Amino acid sequence: MNEWLVFLLLFLAPVISSVPIVLAYKSEKWTAKLPPLSVFGIFVSVVMSLYIFFNIEGRVPASPNEWVWVPDLGINFVFMCDYLSRYMGVITAVIAFFIAVYGLDYMKGDYRPSWYWFFFNLFTASMLLVVYSDNLFLLFLGWEGLGAASWGLIGQWFRDDDDITYVGREGRKAGPLLLHWPPSFGGWRAISTIRFGDVPMFLAIAAIWVFAGTLNISEIEWGSLFETIGAVGTIILFLCLLMGLFTKSAQVPFSEWLMTAMTGPTTVSALLHSATMVAAGAFVFIKLTWYIEPWTLHEVPGLEYVYLLVLFVGLLSGLYGALAGSGMLERKVLLAASTMSSIGLMFAAAAASFWVDVDIGGMNLAVLVAFWYMAVHAFAKASLFLVSGHLIHATHSRFSCGALEFGKKMIPAFIVTIIATTFLVGIPPLTAYWVKSAMDEVMEHLFHDLGFLPFILLVLTSVVYSGLMAKFLALNFIKGERPHHEQIEGGGLMKLGYGLMVSMLFLLLYLIFTSKETHEFVAAGAVVKYGTITLSFTVGILVFLAFIFALYKPQISALTKLGTFFSDRMYLPFVNDYIMPKVGFSLSHVVHEYGNRGIDGFFNTKVVPGLFGGISRGIRSIQTGYLSRYINIVLGLVMFILIIAVVGAWGL
Amino acid sequence: MILLYFLILPLLAACLAPLLKPKAATYLTTLFFMLPFFAILYCIFSHRYAEIPLTTFSPPIGEIYLTADFISHAFGLTICIVSAMVALFALPYMEHRFEEMELSVEGEFRRYIFLYDLYAASMLWLVYSGNLILLYIFLEIALITAFLLIYFYGYGNRRWVGQLYLIWSLIAGVLTLAGFLIIGINNDTLALNYIATVGRYAWLFIFVGMLIELPVLGPHVWLPWAHAEAPTPVSALLSPLTVGLAGYVLLRIALIDYSFILSYRNYILAYALFSSIYAGFSVFKQTDFKRLLAYSTVSQMGYMLVALCLGPFGLIGLVIQYMSHAFGKSILFSSAGGIIAVHHGLRDLRQMGGLHDSIPGISNAAVVGFLNLGGILTVGMLGEFFILRGVVETFGVSTGSLPILLAVILMFILSVWYGFYTIRKVFYGKPKDRERKEISGYLYVPLFIIGIISVLLLLPPLSTALIPGLKSVIWLLGMGGVVP
Repeated sequence: MNEWLVFLLLFLAPVISSVPIVLAYKSEKWTAKLPPLSVFGIFVSVVMSLYIFFNIEGRVPASPNEWVWVPDLGINFVFMCDYLSRYMGVITAVIAFFIAVYGLDYMKGDYRPSWYWFFFNLFTASMLLVVYSDNLFLLFLGWEGLGAASWGLIGQWFRDDDDITYVGREGRKAGPLLLHWPPSFGGWRAISTIRFGDVPMFLAIAAIWVFAGTLNISEIEWGSLFETIGAVGTIILFLCLLMGLFTKSAQVPFSEWLMTAMTGPTTVSALLHSATMVAAGAFVFIKLTWYIEPWTLHEVPGLEYVYLLVLFVGLLSGLYGALAGSGMLERKVLLAASTMSSIGLMFAAAAASFWVDVDIGGMNLAVLVAFWYMAVHAFAKASLFLVSGHLIHATHSRFSCGALEFGKKMIPAFIVTIIATTFLVGIPPLTAYWVKSAMDEVMEHLFHDLGFLPFILLVLTSVVYSGLMAKFLALNFIKGERPHHEQIEGGGLMKLGYGLMVSMLFLLLYLIFTSKETHEFVAAGAVVKYGTITLSFTVGILVFLAFIFALYKPQISALTKLGTFFSDRMYLPFVNDYIMPKVGFSLSHVVHEYGNRGIDGFFNTKVVPGLFGGISRGIRSIQTGYLSRYINIVLGLVMFILIIAVVGAWGL
Repeated sequence: MILLYFLILPLLAACLAPLLKPKAATYLTTLFFMLPFFAILYCIFSHRYAEIPLTTFSPPIGEIYLTADFISHAFGLTICIVSAMVALFALPYMEHRFEEMELSVEGEFRRYIFLYDLYAASMLWLVYSGNLILLYIFLEIALITAFLLIYFYGYGNRRWVGQLYLIWSLIAGVLTLAGFLIIGINNDTLALNYIATVGRYAWLFIFVGMLIELPVLGPHVWLPWAHAEAPTPVSALLSPLTVGLAGYVLLRIALIDYSFILSYRNYILAYALFSSIYAGFSVFKQTDFKRLLAYSTVSQMGYMLVALCLGPFGLIGLVIQYMSHAFGKSILFSSAGGIIAVHHGLRDLRQMGGLHDSIPGISNAAVVGFLNLGGILTVGMLGEFFILRGVVETFGVSTGSLPILLAVILMFILSVWYGFYTIRKVFYGKPKDRERKEISGYLYVPLFIIGIISVLLLLPPLSTALIPGLKSVIWLLGMGGVVP
């Protein structure tokens, strides 16, 4: 098949297939009928991504100026089908497709179907663009598409009229702040945070264009680029770039938007959290690191600080997310916090590559670990979100609830949750264990340069995370309260959706054991090495114990206060909802009330018009018509001239 | 040469449309603006640029001709499509307005459509004028027709606002004319091609005049009055098209002689950035939807002035910024007008909220409008990119340039912030009125057409043809090669 046709279909099929439902927005009959067409569009993308996976490798087109956009300014259609994007493209498309199938059931009868399907498909297409682009401008186009689509989807239920679409407990206040967010606000929070990072990132891309002379990631000579701009330049460039990645990936302190993004439909949360949006930030970092090859650039000044920053922001976000999640009772927000934690670990692992120069078949171990963790996390987290969407429908509550009796009625969801949680947290010998073990090994490599701190943070995060997932399982199916409302019939497509999704974890497990590049993961997960029990296995056991403990005791009443502190996200909402708006609005107040009104008063309404009016009145008051008045004026003028003349003469 | 005939069409429309009934007159206007639109598109694709000589006067006026290069094409394209689409939008709107003012619809429409066509056509001719005197004449025609439209059909104390607008623009016009005359006397010609130097005083006069017209912080106070109280179709031309033409004039002068900008670059840039950010913050406090949009215009015009200071890439950014702002703001003013028309004069933001349910078409159009302003997925993205490249190229990436970089970043962030903040405030939240209103397609379909054009302009083949064209003009005029 023609390559450009493949890419055209890959990106455009989802978008074009959702145009009919948009045009038919007025007709309820048609909007009910057309969603399968949109899903078909995503299916086309799946087929194309599989085609690329099996048939295309390397840069497409071979000559970067073949598919022109604005050729003499470096903006072209250049795609890269390397290891990362071939896998990630399939993951994205497949996940989006499963979620879309699920969505056919989940979104039935929604009040804004056209909006939903258009943005859902735009979201998928944008992420695919981010995944495959080699040209940074093209990548940024997808990046902006993600931002716009996420805004649309998070604010899907713009009416703000149903508490089930909110985030936070009604009436809950912390100081002056109401911790209860409606969907329209969630959307605004998302786009405002993301834009805060996007513009600096765009600047960084422009700077790369200026100093590297090209926008194609694979063509840029990173080493010489950094040398050209020097240490300070490198740090500024990366800070700008990372602003985009961190805001998109909801790393500390930009994580708040992700929590309130849970106001969107669950399908959106699932997509947002697994393979698009938040994953996009980490994915782009992995991709850039892949080509920058920082482990070969130790002599470049400044680069080490950048990677150090990413490492610790990632690890701290990981811990923060896991801790914050441990206090949550809302199903989706708990999962959101855990996602942020996982994404943090991806950042950290990829950043560790600076110090970990371990080559596996031409790939860096640390980067590979980060990427595989992303893959495992994507399927597991998407399954969990889809389950919680079904639970929300079934119990009509967004808070965790459901006892064992309820769990037995929801067998498929129950089983999927057990699989997804255990496979995700790193219990030996399930899928994530092997990846996590390799991640432990990566952090062990840092002992020499950075000490034990990264490793300790990773282990802490893993343990808390494991407890978090077990808590989700326990509170929804085993030990939760009895739901007030039960509606367990139907939902066939939903079950199909998460069933398919979770089955992918087995496929990944199989791939880990059979692929050449992942044999190191298997080695890392070994129980015994050099005669002693490995650290990785010890961590695996710890994680397992944490899981069992939390399953047994998902809520500890003695720690309620701490839990509240965590579930208030350690008061981070204050930054978004109190400090920033206060600063902004007081600035606007000053600018408008004093600045604009002052200038307006001066020029338009008071001073200048008043002056003109005064002068005009003064001149008019002279004109009375009496001769004596004019004679007085003339005499006055004559006297004035005489005085001037006399003074002048005196001076001479 | 053939382009000349197409450019005459809008002037012809001004003469013919008043003879027809409102609907026919509107269609004629749209047609006669769309035809040059396609002609310009053709010129862009076939990479045509030409000079069309008209006549020659004795010095200091010199040759009068039309300059049809890519810069003119880019501006002309924008003016044509926006004027055509706003004319369609205006049909139900102005009929409604005349009824509201208790005027006879048919009779009044003749007067209105004449002024409207003349106004739009004069802007179109302005950007193709190859002689500064010709340019000045069209500037004044545009000014006076706009004044009359506000004076006749505006809202509030429209006569006072009309005069306010007239006075400010006259001050701007006179200063600019003074600058032009100095140029004429120094060079013995006012034909753009033959002007060799622009003296410092001439630059100063033109610069200050155009700063008032643009406007930037300080003189900007006339704009919220005029744009808020003008009848909405006029706002939808005034704000997107007219004020930005000040940027066009500055661009033309800068292409002849960039030295003035070079000598005062840091001051101008600081002022422009401050002005844009200042206006961006002002937006949040507005309670009137049209005034809010007017302040956003001030902020966006700051972008243009920033771009002017940033060398060749900045100048490309300026042109694209004009287009993207014009598309976005015409959509937004029209959607504000849509709300006024459908919800009986509703303009107060405090009484809005949840309007999406009753007018989804207009609400979604407004989203497209704000995406344009923010440069997301529309042609504005290219504009932002060029401006950012200009900044980096001019100032580098170092601790010294950090304040400028941060200011530019903040400037760009603000427009998305106030944009989506406003969308939420106006259209989302608990709806007051669930019922979907049956509204005329004129009120939103033209807006989507503008929106589609703005997306198409980002993508090939349009941007592939347009941007190298712009670049070639700017490089041809001696800007490229060396980074100034």
